[in-house]
Amino acid sequence: MTAASAPLVSIQSLHKSYGPHIQVLKGLDIEMKPGERVVVIGPSGGGKSTLLRVMMGLEKIDSGAITFGGKPYISSSDLAAKTVIDTEVRRSIGMVFQHYTLFPHLSVIQNLVLAPCKVRGEKKASALQRAQALLERFGLGAKANAFPAQLSGGQKQRVAIARALMLDPKLMLFDEVTSALDPELVAEVEQVILQLANQNLPMMIVTHDMWFAKNIASRVIFCAGGVVVEDGPPEQVLGAPREERTREFIDRVFHIKQ
Amino acid sequence: MNYTFDFNAVSLGPLIEGLIVTLELTVAANLIGVILGFPLALLLMSRIAVIRWPATLFVEFFRCTPAIVQIVWFFYCVPMLFNVFLGSMTMGILALGLNLMAFNAEAYRAAIQAVPREQVDAGIALGLNPFQRVFYIVLPNALRASIPVLLTNGIVIFQQSALVAIVAVQDLMYQAKTLATETYRPIETFTIAALIYFAVSFPVTQVVGWLERRRQVLTS
Repeated sequence: MTAASAPLVSIQSLHKSYGPHIQVLKGLDIEMKPGERVVVIGPSGGGKSTLLRVMMGLEKIDSGAITFGGKPYISSSDLAAKTVIDTEVRRSIGMVFQHYTLFPHLSVIQNLVLAPCKVRGEKKASALQRAQALLERFGLGAKANAFPAQLSGGQKQRVAIARALMLDPKLMLFDEVTSALDPELVAEVEQVILQLANQNLPMMIVTHDMWFAKNIASRVIFCAGGVVVEDGPPEQVLGAPREERTREFIDRVFHIKQ
Repeated sequence: MNYTFDFNAVSLGPLIEGLIVTLELTVAANLIGVILGFPLALLLMSRIAVIRWPATLFVEFFRCTPAIVQIVWFFYCVPMLFNVFLGSMTMGILALGLNLMAFNAEAYRAAIQAVPREQVDAGIALGLNPFQRVFYIVLPNALRASIPVLLTNGIVIFQQSALVAIVAVQDLMYQAKTLATETYRPIETFTIAALIYFAVSFPVTQVVGWLERRRQVLTS
């Protein structure tokens, strides 16, 4: 295997349940190459968000393993029913959530510099400078000293993206980041993500927005019932799905759209 | 009713002296309640039952018995049981302070547990360690949320402090009772006393209302 094709993320036989009866992930295998933009689609409750939360190290797993950049990242130890997470590796992954999750007591720019200063020990002046530059780039330069409550949903979400980027992530996870937005604010957030895509930042995106999926994905995974049902280029999975379940889902989604 | 009001018969001097004692009681009890209520809240949330249970018992004792019983118990039972008597003012402060500590601990606990799980998730996603998540995210959020409740509890203690009059602390209520007996003017005396309590409490309740409205705007 050459370095260029070595996987960035390798998920092996991932199992995850909430309590004894609700199995969400039932043996997921995904390999993601550097530079790939994977869009995960599928019905609600199919395990999409759980997959992202597990990859961010927010959830315990039942069994399976994840490696990142060839290094072990998350694994489960059967002995103590424990999930082992390498927190160093975790720091190279960034995540943006559906509900913004900005810190309400901090101004926009303070939201951005908190982690670089506290986690990486960056000097405040340099972090502030980087943060301001990033905000300018996302059209939020004038909002640096505003508080999250004073922003629109679209602005909040762009701040949340900027906050994650402050740590120079090697992989970005986007969990339904436009689902909570008013329709007219969706585009400004998707624009920002497309901008990042142009810089070849690897990302995994969970979305219900098929237009966005088509535009940004280099690969689409259809996930249902806790397993990968179909996995391929967007033209195939969205345009001419091979699996019956994928076709049903795509038909229904596009039917609603019209 | 043929009663002729005579507010001039009531001298304000003793009432003001009483008010000062009442304010001293309130400030001292609030110092105890605000400062010690916080570590007590942490004990209430402990995962270790041996730590959590005594703390819960302490809080529930104060929440589930009348304040007047607590005060009387402190004045009569503590000296007899433990052979200590610290002077009526100190005992008054302790009784009110421990009561407030229990209520404030509940306020802190509720505020800490009300911080959304997603805020902590965001902290993890940003690489903050558990201590940093508590220190930079959970506590600043929770402490801000608890301020209106702490102020409300504080003003309740200001009013509850009138109960210590029955155990001879010379607070506003005690002075009013004395004055009413001396002047045979209970209506005027207690009306003025009530107005003084109101004049102190009302502005604080307004501040609480303002803080709550402001917070609703900020967190929406």
